[in-house]
Amino acid sequence: MASATAASAGSLRASRYETDTARAAVAGVVLIVAAWLLFFVIDPGTVQNWLGYAQRSDARVPAFFVRFVLLLAVIVSAFMLVTSTGYYKRNRIRLAPWMFVSIGLIFFAIYVILPIFQSFSYSFTRWDGLRDINGVWTGEWVGFQNYQRLLEDPNFYTSLWNNLLWLVLYMLAVPVGLGIALFLNQTVTGIRIYKSLFFFPFVISQVVVGLIFTWAYNPEFGLVGEIWGWFFCEETTNILGNPTTVCSVDPPNILGDPNVATYGIIAAGLWPQIAYCMILYLTGLNNVSPDQIEAGRLDGARGWKMLRHVILPQLAPATFLAVVVTVIGALRSFDMIATMTQGGPFGSTNVLAYYMYDQAVGEGVGRYGYGSAIAVVLFAIMLVYISYFLWRMWQDEREAR
Amino acid sequence: MFPRPIEKASPVSQFAYKAALPLALFVWLLPLLAIFLTSIRPALDIATGNMFGLPSQFVMFENYGQVLAQPNALRYMINTLIITVPTVILSVALACLTGYALAVYRFRWALPLFFVFVAGNFVPFQILMLPVVDLSVRLEMMNTIPGLVIFHAAFQTGFCTLFMRNFIKALPFELIEAARIEGVDEFKIFWHLVLPLVKPAIAALSVLIFTFIWNDFFWATVMLQDDANLPITVGVRTLNGEFVQQWQLISAASLLAALPPVIMFFAMQKHFIAGLTLGATKG
Repeated sequence: MASATAASAGSLRASRYETDTARAAVAGVVLIVAAWLLFFVIDPGTVQNWLGYAQRSDARVPAFFVRFVLLLAVIVSAFMLVTSTGYYKRNRIRLAPWMFVSIGLIFFAIYVILPIFQSFSYSFTRWDGLRDINGVWTGEWVGFQNYQRLLEDPNFYTSLWNNLLWLVLYMLAVPVGLGIALFLNQTVTGIRIYKSLFFFPFVISQVVVGLIFTWAYNPEFGLVGEIWGWFFCEETTNILGNPTTVCSVDPPNILGDPNVATYGIIAAGLWPQIAYCMILYLTGLNNVSPDQIEAGRLDGARGWKMLRHVILPQLAPATFLAVVVTVIGALRSFDMIATMTQGGPFGSTNVLAYYMYDQAVGEGVGRYGYGSAIAVVLFAIMLVYISYFLWRMWQDEREAR
Repeated sequence: MFPRPIEKASPVSQFAYKAALPLALFVWLLPLLAIFLTSIRPALDIATGNMFGLPSQFVMFENYGQVLAQPNALRYMINTLIITVPTVILSVALACLTGYALAVYRFRWALPLFFVFVAGNFVPFQILMLPVVDLSVRLEMMNTIPGLVIFHAAFQTGFCTLFMRNFIKALPFELIEAARIEGVDEFKIFWHLVLPLVKPAIAALSVLIFTFIWNDFFWATVMLQDDANLPITVGVRTLNGEFVQQWQLISAASLLAALPPVIMFFAMQKHFIAGLTLGATKG
């Protein structure tokens, strides 16, 4: 290949940076036709006519695929067009990254970055989420009214308080995860199977974890009721001769009691989160340098001292990551609440994430403005952690250079 | 190695450790074990209060069969699959491109763009929810599976880019440099040189994203309404609504919903854990 390049370099040099007109023309035509079809011709109505669907809504999915293929055609032909120009060829190194990053960036911008700003603007409006027949927005601007209402809403304060509880108690996952990781960091036979079985809860969806714990917390049929029975209940026969259980103290109905329901959900949420932190620490422990441990041992460090002064500093990246994912997990707690209590009893288990959903679409009436205001508050809390994370990353990047 | 290897401890503590292991595991997985036991018992056991003893009859296949025989149970499973697989393909493919761009080229915007992907990946879902719903309605993609897939793929591109970029950054840059000096086209470098090298990262990401999307509940609740479109995480609630008080069926349905990611995890364990840790320990 090298010799071929060298041989043809002289003849290529002239043509190499020139625009490939034929290719550019074909790509340009394809681009224009595909873009025209995409933006002005294709909608479910058209597809319905072509394919003979009975209803417009049935034609939505096929219409999607037609659009998707056209979108691909637009992207590919746009790339062909750009890469065949002399300008691109001369500035290859400068332009190529933009080509590579463009598709992902456009999708990400449309679905993630722009919506953040849109939510901010929604939060200053009153809107039920509907548009009129021409697609015109039907809401109205109300300034800071949503935020004022938020300050007077007791449910908002409950949610905020519960979010704080989640944040604080969820952090238990980090030390407990470390504890289990230390416990499992051995080389006895079969330890790998133990490790993966301990990690198991993380793989199960939060919905299923929620269902499992709803059942476990059930005072009549569940695990809690059963274990309670060992200590406080006894089997007797009542007057009619049927066996019954009599309890000196009734088993707690954890999810039915507004004072403890949140703690019950958090405990359930901790289960997979501990598993996650454990696996982070197990990997971290794998990478701890044996030399330093040996040196520590020679210096007489053992047990707690060793952990505190030799091991933990080396586990700092794992700890950082564990804290980050735990914070994010705590603030994202939605699935569990939706499956276990739906915010009840009496709104006592609401967190911002669930309350927002409930206000915006949950009750059948869309309160997009109010919901967005709640989302903005949640985002502001998260932003503290995101900024910290990015700042740490930036530090690392600077060091790496 | 820390803590001190147990082989160096006294035989007594070695024995104690080996005894403690299964015991700890038993306590740790107790909820799961209990629900599994429930899912294989006959209804009679539950009626007579035998919730935790040995099942009087082993009716696993009957119970699970009964769940799968529900009109929509299989539909939910298939829906989840047709949401999950295209999402994995799309987001990993996009992330290969973006990750390559942000790792290999030293342009001024590389780091800011990378941070945009990372930050976007951490935002709460709720701040995206209403605009995404509105956009989907306007594109006539609301309540369709492709609409959900496109959103998932776009969102997961954030995490995948974080992962891919760090992975590619760790590759020897000299290889790419050498290819450039040879005059190889940038896209060909990506396709023939870098892609084969990032195969482990692609495997790890695929397994991880598969699990994330399979377990997604929030976006499916928000973006899908028709029963015919629902994935299993949402559908399992509908199923359970039909099994009033039939705990053996409720537990069987819940376990069925959890099964595929579990299989995926045990089959691809190494990739899975590599994905969970490498993608971010570097960050």
